[in-house]
Amino acid sequence: MKPNLSSSPPPKPDIRVALVEDKPGVRDSWTRLINSLAGFACACACTSGEEALRVIPTVKPDVVLMDIFLPRMSGIECTTQLKLILPKTQVLMLTAVEDDELVFMALVAGADGYLLKRTTPENLRAAMLDVLGGGAPMTSEIARRVVESFRKAKAKSKPEVHLSAREEEVLILLSKGYSNKEIASQLSIGAETVGSHLKHIYEKMHVRSRAEAVARYMTSKA
Amino acid sequence: MLRSALNLSACGLIWFFLLGFSRASLAEESPTNNTANWMLEATNHMGQWIWETNTLDKQTVRFWKSFVVPPGGKVAAALLRITVDNGYTLFFDGQEIGRGSDWRTVTEYDVTQLLSPGRHVLGVEAFNDRLEAGFIFGLRLELADGQAMEITSDDSWLIAPGEAKNWVAKKTAPPDWHPAIIIGSMHHHPWENWPYGLATVPPVRPVAVHFWQRGWFQLLLFTTSALAVFYCIALTTRLVAQAKAQQFLNLERARIARDIHDDVGAQLTQLVLLGEVAQREQPEGSAARRQFQQFCAHARELSQAMDEVVWAVNSRRDTVRDFASYVCKYAQHFLSATPTRCRLDVEAEIPAMEFELPVRRNLFLAVKEALNNAAKHAQADELFVRIYRQEQKLIVTIEDNGIGFDPDTLKLERNGLTNLHQRMNEIGGTCEIITQPGLGCRVTFSVPLKPAKSRLGFGWFRPDAATNRQQIEQLNLPPDLADIENQKSL
Repeated sequence: MKPNLSSSPPPKPDIRVALVEDKPGVRDSWTRLINSLAGFACACACTSGEEALRVIPTVKPDVVLMDIFLPRMSGIECTTQLKLILPKTQVLMLTAVEDDELVFMALVAGADGYLLKRTTPENLRAAMLDVLGGGAPMTSEIARRVVESFRKAKAKSKPEVHLSAREEEVLILLSKGYSNKEIASQLSIGAETVGSHLKHIYEKMHVRSRAEAVARYMTSKA
Repeated sequence: MLRSALNLSACGLIWFFLLGFSRASLAEESPTNNTANWMLEATNHMGQWIWETNTLDKQTVRFWKSFVVPPGGKVAAALLRITVDNGYTLFFDGQEIGRGSDWRTVTEYDVTQLLSPGRHVLGVEAFNDRLEAGFIFGLRLELADGQAMEITSDDSWLIAPGEAKNWVAKKTAPPDWHPAIIIGSMHHHPWENWPYGLATVPPVRPVAVHFWQRGWFQLLLFTTSALAVFYCIALTTRLVAQAKAQQFLNLERARIARDIHDDVGAQLTQLVLLGEVAQREQPEGSAARRQFQQFCAHARELSQAMDEVVWAVNSRRDTVRDFASYVCKYAQHFLSATPTRCRLDVEAEIPAMEFELPVRRNLFLAVKEALNNAAKHAQADELFVRIYRQEQKLIVTIEDNGIGFDPDTLKLERNGLTNLHQRMNEIGGTCEIITQPGLGCRVTFSVPLKPAKSRLGFGWFRPDAATNRQQIEQLNLPPDLADIENQKSL
């Protein structure tokens, strides 16, 4: 059957965003801000990690914006569990200050990127489009930590979660302050290839944390 | 007493006959006779048997006698012979020099070394078991000038009463001490055939009292020890107090940092968000929208500045690792608004070793100044921030490939540079600037690092672990993440 080409393509549906933030004023501002961005809609706004785990799986959003500091269950723990249920959903952490330790822990736990709360709406939009398009933003500080953590874990973990030589090369250049474009020209590869390497690195980090999360879940059941 | 001796074994009887015979034939030359001669010679210089007025069974009598060796009279030899039926303890100048329990043997003491010119005191604590009792004594002194002196047992000896304290050391006798009575001469009944033996003891040496045995020294030693102990206790108390104060300070700093972050920071973030929302609800191009834009930009700058304060104040950030990470982030952020690309070269796996607030703050401000200079004047397209350790020092280098300058022609503008030197001097570090026109500029900062803390003991001096635990608990992290945090701090 021939597709009907005569009619105009249907308008692209809005990208659905879920928000997890405990402070009511901040939650309200974020909701209004997301709704004001063209092509984005706030699908749900949760007040806690527990509520997020209940509501978000039924809403099935494209992107989750998650506050790190939540009462009781932290945003980091919530991310780990949410990623077990919805592995395809992209999670961006929101932090008030750039704390590398916390950001790194969040990334290990399954987050796909992070944003400062004071970021501009343009940056927020770009970051959400970036993760949805298969990109993986990473700063040089985080890159340095990722290299370290993989080197330390090398002794005990399985070979499939080790970094490849090329991936390590990309990380080291990143940690030296090179941009994705510069890395691509240095290694004579395409800029998209750099992005996919980074995405793989994220996935490898998540594999490790997912295994740990499952083990924790099993022991809590037993 | 004598009767009990008569009931001796056959062996004793044989000795009795032998000695009795030898005494009867003194002239004969035989080894036994030699002993007997010597015995006789010895007994010739002894006095008479003396005792207390009444003789009782189980009686202790204290004989006391003082004598004077003439001044300037050096004693060449002094032999003292004594026996008591039944036993005695002999004191010389208050010191015990011998004991005897076999009354049938005279004991000879060589006391030459004890005798010096002046007054001396003899004391004999004599004990009678039962029936007859007696004390016999002789001291013969030969002076260097050939004169001789004899002190023997007679009725000039005084008897110290039983309740007298420290009687052996008394130089003069109290008037209530009464003299001893003479029982009889050497061979008076029942001692006709006794004593028959002579025991010689090695020369008695004066008791050497070493300085550490003296009272003043022991008192001094005790006082010194006590003072040392007190000093140690005081020092330890002070150290503990200091550690506690430091711990308190760290906790307070962490609390202040948290308060600023939680209260001021959260409000600021909200201000930015509210501004953004308000701005978007204004019509495009309106004056109100422009003003909201400015408002948001200022609020963001304020938030950034506050982050810097929180970083400086927070005691959790007092590590070299955190410093490196913060400097890199700052440099990247700062240069992102300029045409200069920021390159980082940081030592892999910098440890989380201690880096005190004044040091890291001054070093950070110096680095900031160097970055500022580079951005303003260098016209570089690349700038390297290098951070590494070298021989207990942390080295931070800011190196650009810009136009450089001639260090000598820059006198007027050197305020900023002297500022750098001053900052580094304050924290015991150094600053070195190498530049030439057209060859870029390299600023090298070097600060001493504290050697790693000893792991031995003093757990209570290191409150860091507890501090961190507390902070992590307040962070509301899941327990496994809290553990990761804690391991890092250890």
